[in-house]
Amino acid sequence: MNLPGSSVSWAAKVLAVTRKDITAEFRTRYAINSILMFALVTLTVISMALGLMTPDSDLMAALFWVILFFAAMSGLAQVFIKEEEAGTALILKLSTEGLVIFFGKLIFNLLLLTVLSVLIVPLFIILLKVTPQNWAVFLIGLVLGDIGLAGATTIIAAIVAKATVKGALFTVLSFPILLPLLMAVIDITKVAFGGGNFGDISTGLQLLVAYDVVMVTVSVMLFDFVWRQ
Amino acid sequence: MWWKILIFAAMSAVIIAAFMTPSPMNPAISLGDADVYRIFYFHVPQAWVAALAFVLSMIFSIKFLKTRDMQYDTKAVLAAKLGLVFAVLATVTGSIFAKMTWGEFWNWAEIREVSIFILLIIYGAYFALRSALPNAETKATLSAVLSILFAVSAVFLIFILPRLYADFSQHPSDSVVDREGQITMGATVAAIFFSSLAVFTALFAWIYNVSLRIAKAYDKNLPEN
Repeated sequence: MNLPGSSVSWAAKVLAVTRKDITAEFRTRYAINSILMFALVTLTVISMALGLMTPDSDLMAALFWVILFFAAMSGLAQVFIKEEEAGTALILKLSTEGLVIFFGKLIFNLLLLTVLSVLIVPLFIILLKVTPQNWAVFLIGLVLGDIGLAGATTIIAAIVAKATVKGALFTVLSFPILLPLLMAVIDITKVAFGGGNFGDISTGLQLLVAYDVVMVTVSVMLFDFVWRQ
Repeated sequence: MWWKILIFAAMSAVIIAAFMTPSPMNPAISLGDADVYRIFYFHVPQAWVAALAFVLSMIFSIKFLKTRDMQYDTKAVLAAKLGLVFAVLATVTGSIFAKMTWGEFWNWAEIREVSIFILLIIYGAYFALRSALPNAETKATLSAVLSILFAVSAVFLIFILPRLYADFSQHPSDSVVDREGQITMGATVAAIFFSSLAVFTALFAWIYNVSLRIAKAYDKNLPEN
């Protein structure tokens, strides 16, 4: 616990929040289990439904992000929902300022998405028999896509945590916000599967970087309204 | 009272003019039946009002977060409700036009159809959140935050994506505004079109005012004016 006036740096406070969430996650494994199982189930459904068909790489790029999107939607809201459900949100509010919480939770969600990506990419390649022709393009799309997914939905998670009926609300609210990201990132993954290079994705890349920066900035500006509610 | 009569008379005049004058179609570049193009006089103003309502709702949301005055929340919700109605109208009329000229009710490659569909989803999500929140103040604050987030996302979608994917558009933009943004419609078409735009905007303003008065009559906490 950091008392006011203590010399702990801002970054250390943020990481403390992330570390707390990681410890809590290792005890319950709720978010990671639901995200990974959701991704696995969706992947299996798609893989079995396609059966012996050999769909083109454009469709594969779209399917890859459909899996990642829905898997992320199944678990990313947990960071704030669990605080409200366990009744710990108030203590967290007292212990540090809102932005520290926001970035701590954002980094935790980003770690969740990284674990998800690391596990789902090899499975996708094995089960759906598609390999990125250009790994550099694929990975930069994946990294920027994950940052965008976590950056844009962390504030939505905080909003949803206040709702009495949660259900599919997180997905419903996140979709309009994530749509520009998904369109850009599917475009980049298409290029990666098709074997293009960085020249083909410059517009998409610019859009993606702009999106990530703008969404995190706007979230930072608005987060206190949600958190102090 | 005179507002109501004026809008009724002006709307009737626009409808009569829209069907009594030659079609706004530009035969040099457009396909299909000329009469179908008369929907332009109604479809475009509806889409305009839907977008206007969305912007208004966002402005009221920002004002609410700044002042914490509940009357701005009421205004934001009313603008969003009306925007939803006009967005549905614009989607339906646009879809009919698409079927008559391009052969399909819906086409995902057409960026403006995608945009209006997203606008519908945004309004849907906004009301979904409102119905899931417990008390009036939480409802007002969180939906205001959401509406600002949606507006940022809409800027990306409505202004950036059509430029990224410009070659997909089948919209008959050349018959009204050419690629350089110059208005190319004839004087009669322009007169009817801009009258229709004004009448639809006035219709929106009138319904909005009536709804606001009703909301204030129900809720005594809101200021009278």
